Amino acid sequence: MADGTIFEKLGKPTAVIVTTPFIRAGDAMAKRQGFPGYRYATMPNPIGNLNSDQIKQRAREVLPQVLAILGLPEDSVK
Amino acid sequence: MTAKSVEELTVAEVEAARRAIEYYFEKGWTDGLPIVPPIEEFVAEFLAQTSRSPEDVLITLEHLKRTCNVRQAAINAVMAGCRPEYFPVVIATLESFQGAGGALIQSTTGQAQLIIVNGPARERLGFNSRENILGPGDRANVTVGRTLRLVIMNVLGVRPHEFDQSTQGTPLKFGTCIAENEEESPWEPLHVEKGFAANESTVTMQAVRSDLHVEHRSTQVPEEILLTIADTMSYAGGIYEAPPYNRNNGCVVVIGPEHANIIAAKGWSKQDVRRFLFEHYGRTKADLRRFGKIIGLDAEPEDAFVAHTRSPESITIVVAGAANAGVSTVCPNFGGRSATKVVR
Repeated sequence: MADGTIFEKLGKPTAVIVTTPFIRAGDAMAKRQGFPGYRYATMPNPIGNLNSDQIKQRAREVLPQVLAILGLPEDSVK
Repeated sequence: MTAKSVEELTVAEVEAARRAIEYYFEKGWTDGLPIVPPIEEFVAEFLAQTSRSPEDVLITLEHLKRTCNVRQAAINAVMAGCRPEYFPVVIATLESFQGAGGALIQSTTGQAQLIIVNGPARERLGFNSRENILGPGDRANVTVGRTLRLVIMNVLGVRPHEFDQSTQGTPLKFGTCIAENEEESPWEPLHVEKGFAANESTVTMQAVRSDLHVEHRSTQVPEEILLTIADTMSYAGGIYEAPPYNRNNGCVVVIGPEHANIIAAKGWSKQDVRRFLFEHYGRTKADLRRFGKIIGLDAEPEDAFVAHTRSPESITIVVAGAANAGVSTVCPNFGGRSATKVVR
């Protein structure tokens, strides 16, 4: 979250993805960095034990949230 | 004005003190235990123990947008129950925290900061280096350790349920401060090994995951003691995934005086001990496969030894505890950096 808000300050459009157990810490960090209410994508935990196919599926599932945050149309990524 | 003796205090005055303590619980400014209310008069006693300006910054954590200055350190030292004369050790503790990579306080690992005091300050200020070294009961050890935790929570703002993301944490996080038992150690103390003079006092800090008890009471063979310690250092739960993550591990080995003196009596230097532990700190490829903690190593035979760290220097050796049993402790590092600062 800290990295994402730093990119935003540098003018780089950024989409941060937070797994659900870290939402509270993520909100606190966004506030600490001067971005209260910062919008980010969420996905379930865990991810560390997923295999390659499972992580690709997670990426597909979270993609609409990421595109929405970046202001891109849903069909902009194949 | 002369302060009243404890016997002269009225019930109303003690009740008022309790209300002040409760106020700090309500504000969330404690570690879950009562604190000493840090009124200006108390803080001034601590600031008088140092030539440092109250505004001098001791810790800066950019990503948290927080600093800790000398005054804030004094406030939390009062709250933790320190005596004013401990304050130079508190300052060195916070400086070593910064030097040891203070950013490592939010990890899910939930690691603690192990504080090691060396030199004449131990005796002068009453730091315990012997019986029950990792347990409760000695004010200097407990309150200096607690001060760091209160600074992390109150000044740096890393509290549970928010910035502190520990999955489980460890009781060591309440504060873990030990002094080296230099008098019963057969080897040079930690600070001398690091290039400081024996008559200087220092604080060394290393982030650690936990403390693991090591028993061996029935041998006079150095290799048998050290293999037992090395096996504890190499426990499966301490391996993240190997390689490449195994390469930056390390441990603080708190060797009990009985073990240290058995080993030294057979002619082993501290460097010999470190080298031996390094050579046995790791697991076979077959073990790693059994635990499902392996990436690559395709060309290696199943019985290949996979070292858990890159160099012997990642193993810190401290002699502490009572000379009453064959007991030592292993504290696995979290992150490779330690730092040592002089008490001034």
